[in-house]
Amino acid sequence: MKIVVGMRQLADLVEELEVADSGVDIDRDFVKFVSNEWDEAALEEALLIKEQVGGEVVVVALDEPDVDQTLYSAIAKGADRAVKIVGVEEGWTPTRLRAQLLAKYLESEGDWDAFFTGVQAADDLDGQLAGLIGASLGVAHAAVVSKAEPEGPALRITQELGGGTLAESVAEGKVVLGVQAGRQAPRYAPITRIRQAMSSTTIESFEAPEVELGPGPKVRKLYPPESKGQATMLEGDPVEVAEKIVEIIRTKGLVR
Amino acid sequence: MWIDAVVETRKIFGGETSLEKLIFYVLAFVTLLVFFTGLIRRIKKYRSGRKLTGWNFRGGKAKGIEEVTEPPSHVRSLVDVATNKTIARRKPSVGMAHLLMFWGFIGLFLATTILSLDYDVYGNITRIFFGKERSFFKGWFYLTYNFIFNMAGVAALLGAALLYMRRIFSKEKELDYERAYKPEGGYKRVKMALGDHVFVGGLLLIIVTGFLIQGLRIDGSNFPSFEKWTFVGYLIGETWKAVGVSPALAREIHPTLWWIHVLMALAFVAYIPFSKALHILSSPANLALRNPATTRVLPPSPPDHIGYRELRDFTEKDLVGLDACTKCGRCHGVCPARTVGAPLSPRDLILDLRQWVDRSTKNPMILDWEERPDGSGPHNTEGRLAGDVIWERTLWSCTTCMACVEICPVGIEHVPLIVQLRRSLVDEGVMDPTLQSALQNIASQGNSFGKSARMRARWVKSLDFPVPDARKEHVEYLWFLGDFASFDERLVEISRTFAKVLNAAGISFGILYEAERNAGNDVRRAGEEGLFEMLVEENMKAFSSASFDKIITTDPHSFNTLRNEYPAFGLSAPVMHYSELLAQLLYQGDKVSLSKLTKQVTYHDPCYLGRYNRIFDAPRAVISGLGCDLVEMPRHRDNSFCCGAGGGRIWMDDSFLNERPSENRMREAASLGVDYFVVACPKDYAMFSDAVKTTGNEGKIAVVDIVELFYEAMMADQLVAVSGSSLSSEAFESQEGQ
Ligand code: SF4
Ligand code: SF4
Repeated sequence: MKIVVGMRQLADLVEELEVADSGVDIDRDFVKFVSNEWDEAALEEALLIKEQVGGEVVVVALDEPDVDQTLYSAIAKGADRAVKIVGVEEGWTPTRLRAQLLAKYLESEGDWDAFFTGVQAADDLDGQLAGLIGASLGVAHAAVVSKAEPEGPALRITQELGGGTLAESVAEGKVVLGVQAGRQAPRYAPITRIRQAMSSTTIESFEAPEVELGPGPKVRKLYPPESKGQATMLEGDPVEVAEKIVEIIRTKGLVR
Repeated sequence: MWIDAVVETRKIFGGETSLEKLIFYVLAFVTLLVFFTGLIRRIKKYRSGRKLTGWNFRGGKAKGIEEVTEPPSHVRSLVDVATNKTIARRKPSVGMAHLLMFWGFIGLFLATTILSLDYDVYGNITRIFFGKERSFFKGWFYLTYNFIFNMAGVAALLGAALLYMRRIFSKEKELDYERAYKPEGGYKRVKMALGDHVFVGGLLLIIVTGFLIQGLRIDGSNFPSFEKWTFVGYLIGETWKAVGVSPALAREIHPTLWWIHVLMALAFVAYIPFSKALHILSSPANLALRNPATTRVLPPSPPDHIGYRELRDFTEKDLVGLDACTKCGRCHGVCPARTVGAPLSPRDLILDLRQWVDRSTKNPMILDWEERPDGSGPHNTEGRLAGDVIWERTLWSCTTCMACVEICPVGIEHVPLIVQLRRSLVDEGVMDPTLQSALQNIASQGNSFGKSARMRARWVKSLDFPVPDARKEHVEYLWFLGDFASFDERLVEISRTFAKVLNAAGISFGILYEAERNAGNDVRRAGEEGLFEMLVEENMKAFSSASFDKIITTDPHSFNTLRNEYPAFGLSAPVMHYSELLAQLLYQGDKVSLSKLTKQVTYHDPCYLGRYNRIFDAPRAVISGLGCDLVEMPRHRDNSFCCGAGGGRIWMDDSFLNERPSENRMREAASLGVDYFVVACPKDYAMFSDAVKTTGNEGKIAVVDIVELFYEAMMADQLVAVSGSSLSSEAFESQEGQ
């Protein structure tokens, strides 16, 4: 079975994110980028299937910051090939564009059996990516997949529906899955293996084709949530703090 | 006749026929054949081990710092072996008994050799060259020989008897062969215990029969007065006589008993290479090969893959070490993992590996085996070494505290073996999920907390003086904080305290801000060598971008790897622990003025400071120099008991343990009745603060960092000054006025 896994890079949320001067994107210069955790789950599931029934796992990602690290560590974990879609404009890639580019790549790759990607990402909380790709390729699609097990040439898929209900289905032929969790936690990629992968594997490039996006929403303003009812921290030594408290009580007219 | 009455001597053979002599020589020959065949097979096994090449573990060390990675000289090893020093350590009476047996048997061995030299060599040579057999085994030589070697016999007898009594009656956990990890399919160690009985019991029988035949001989020769020099034999002869054995009867029994004695002795010699007795040879050899660097500067993986997986990965030294184990159980006794119920005993680990190697090389011991009805563990020569032969959980239980290496009387180095086995697990991605996420955090953020590198120096913000950036200006001391002292909420306060001390003492210091990375000590010991190397590269890059004279750290773990392992990667600056600097401040110069504290405290030696780097005195000097009354815990200095955090254990689940090592330690401290538990390690502070709570000792004993004590002594002085100033006296007055 040949499984293609789509992976994407996101700003590391342990960093403090700031809005860029443009006002429509985060400041990408100083943040670190890490791979999307749901994509890692998708990769793990693909690797498990490969271990069970053989085949090939190809990882594909847009050329985003630090993406090589993610692709090499996928190789270190057991993926066979890594592909980078190059020539995409820098900055945030809207999910619809990402979907079109990945769909084009999948068309060129041709003989794949399944495409896995994370069910969502920090910049795609609605989880549109897998659905959009499935739609544009005209291929079956399932989201919130928690298990995908090989069954002959097909895949038996378990999905989590709301309220703890599980749904099982069998996908024959090509299928696109948005993976929620794998059967096991993503494996560890030892640094030595990643370094080996770096020296022994070349990441293939796929030139991003022109795509028509058509009309769609556009980000007009990006801003941190405005907080209501803030607490004020009083700084200084106890005497100063006490004075400030007294001052506040006075100005609020609580005491005279 | 039995003796030549004119000369003080005796017949070498006690009247045996020449057929019997022939049988004896044939048997002796066969014995030596078996012995040497067995020995050569063993030696071949060792020689098949991997040879360590190009392992560069030495680098620039600061002058005046005790060398902790220097292998002992051969003279030193010889003295250690000759004095049985390592055996007497912490168990002087056992050491004494072993010393008696050791020298006693060397004496008896010499006695036999001399006899053989006289009879078989000198006798034959003189017969061939002079036509007449000569012997030096007579006159004064004979008398001295008997006197001295009678004494050796007594020593051997006494030593062996004492050790055998201990073996039978002692209830020490060290001598209990119960496994720490109980395999599901069960196990039996009857043969192991039997091996001990055969070994020591056999030796005892050999000595006793030796003395008995000596007595018979003297009885049989009518007690010539010069034989009084053979004082034990003479006494036994008289005893024979007293129980009614006439000289004639003695002469009759003598050959039978002689044969029993000789057969046992020969059998024993042949048995050596196939039993615990092998340690007579392998243990001194291992002591000579031991290298304190191996644990402090971990050796690389075998050249063609990561970690130990197969027989050929073991080095010569590893293989000799496995055979050197005497099952004395001292490592088993001190191991914190074993103590708290983890499935790890360093003794079991060594024995399992030895048995597995012996199975794989078809070189088994006769007894001294552990049986497994289901053929698992060391009997499984097909399965994975780390995982099937040695259980994963066992390997992950080690805190790398080094207590086992420290006390092993034969110089076995358990920790490097454990790390090599862990490496192969990490390479397969087999590990605790919490360890995995810590390693992932370290790989991506450079710290185990998974926080942004930029947050690393956030703790300096609330200080009212700037902390220099060593990348921007030259500093004398580059302070390497480590993750815990940088990120843990409780510990950053201690970091600030140390900064205040440095600042007040006018010491030039700086930090690396966001460029510092986890030093990698525990990453390496968890078996993630690739990540360790990456961290070293990043830290070395940061060091080279900074300008400083020395490195100082509060973290003994970082201290260990920076001091001992980084030199191989090019670090040449001296590395200091903050306790050393505090001691300097206290005893040299007048940079700080300190008031006396009067506190009852105890001090916990961190493994990586004490055992690993032999810094025992500096923290103690600080504590007592500050005026505190230091009460030692029973387990202190090199016998300190690990807090349980080392070797990556701090990132792993410990809920399955009977108790945490830190809790065990806290109970020990609480029983002293002191008020403070002084630590000199950020991880210790975290571990023991928790342990105070979980052992219900809150309010009874408090954990305090050594620099907090120092600061208190410094500030006590300042408070006096402050209270003398106008501001505080005003405050004082206004209080009075109310
Ligand atoms: S290093 Fe410590 S925890 Fe590990 S085996 Fe030795 S004594 Fe036990
Ligand atoms: S490894 Fe050393 S300390 Fe442990 S049982 Fe063997 S000889 Fe004793």
